Amino acid sequence: MSVLDLPTLTRILRENAGADESVDLSGDILDIPFPELGYDSLALLQAIGVIQRDFGVELDDDAASAETPREFLTVVNGGEQPSAESV
Amino acid sequence: MDADTGLRPPRPVALLLPGQGSQYPNMARGLYGRVPAFTEPFEEVLGLLGPLGEQALADWLAERPAVDLDHVSRAQPLIFAVDYALARMLTAWGLRPAAFVGHSAGEAVAAVLAGVMALPDAVRLLAERVELIADAPPGGMLAVAANPAQLAPYLTAEVVVGAVNGPQQVLLAGPDPQLEQVAQRLRAAGHTCMRARATSGFHSPSLAECCRRALPGFAGVRLAPPETPVFSGRTGGELDPGSACDPVFWAMQPAEPVLFAPALDALLSRGPHLLVEAGPGQGLTALARRHREVASGRSAVAPLLGTRARQPEADRLDVLRAVRVLVEEGHPVQPLGLDDLAPAAARA
Repeated sequence: MSVLDLPTLTRILRENAGADESVDLSGDILDIPFPELGYDSLALLQAIGVIQRDFGVELDDDAASAETPREFLTVVNGGEQPSAESV
Repeated sequence: MDADTGLRPPRPVALLLPGQGSQYPNMARGLYGRVPAFTEPFEEVLGLLGPLGEQALADWLAERPAVDLDHVSRAQPLIFAVDYALARMLTAWGLRPAAFVGHSAGEAVAAVLAGVMALPDAVRLLAERVELIADAPPGGMLAVAANPAQLAPYLTAEVVVGAVNGPQQVLLAGPDPQLEQVAQRLRAAGHTCMRARATSGFHSPSLAECCRRALPGFAGVRLAPPETPVFSGRTGGELDPGSACDPVFWAMQPAEPVLFAPALDALLSRGPHLLVEAGPGQGLTALARRHREVASGRSAVAPLLGTRARQPEADRLDVLRAVRVLVEEGHPVQPLGLDDLAPAAARA
């Protein structure tokens, strides 16, 4: 069973980026590189901290080097590719 | 194209030039020897660096570099060469940038592109600087997801704010082990921290003594007011002619904080721009993407390279993708040396 889906990831990213930064994360963003969505590896590391705390999971910091939401979700979900319905 | 976008004049292009910390193994390697407009200026920079350039080139090409690419003697020459060559590649293809924004070492590239400093002078001073910084105390930079006010209680005389990158992103800089001690305190307090790729405390007092020793070199070169606007991380605004012509300004720049967020604010407050990151990685793209002017769509950002080395064609495909953005915007850019990629890019 997957731990994290795309809507939850985008919510966490948005909440952590700060209130005055309203990057549009709607639409098909699974394969868009994180920097082009406005998130660098520090932002991902921050998201990893939140996910560990809120979901009670241990994550490798390697997830912070994921290039796209698809890669990130696959690492977080233990290799399971994000499915169409989780998007 | 609909009528609205067809009538809009192209937004002027500002090049974002990244600095220390942006390097990664094999950065831009897919352009070297394949795209003449990149290869020629790249080799020009490394050629001007003499033996240092030869060593940097050898380590850039090596599977196991003799000296780590994050070391100042490799990172600084290679970042300069990649930034400069990417910018020159775009101008050779017909682009006329309206402004330059340099981050850290990228600011020296901006100075050359804007006509403040001649390339041979800038490169000679870079070689001198690398030698001087090799004597600086070992240290580094630490990215923290916080604002400067939140970090104030953790700062010391040695560990300072080295860069203000965004509203919630600061780079601390200083010598080790002091920097690592601050990192531990920050982590214990729940802050997210990440070491940046640097082996010296750039933009902190750690480098002040080396910078002072570089001053005679800067005092001996011709400095001119910018011919194209430069938005400076050193001042956080448009570079004025007085600062541009001041050798102390340039000599001390690596020991002073980088005010990237204010510099970007100043640029974007002049009106919508198309920002193009001309250097390794997409660090400045990510910062710009979060800026309200870009998030709103009034301005836009496109990186020339990816975030890490991938298959050999990836660099050229990434550049082609950025060229498409420029062409769609209405800038006449002819990407010579990428012509054969069109079918592959159309599939991508």
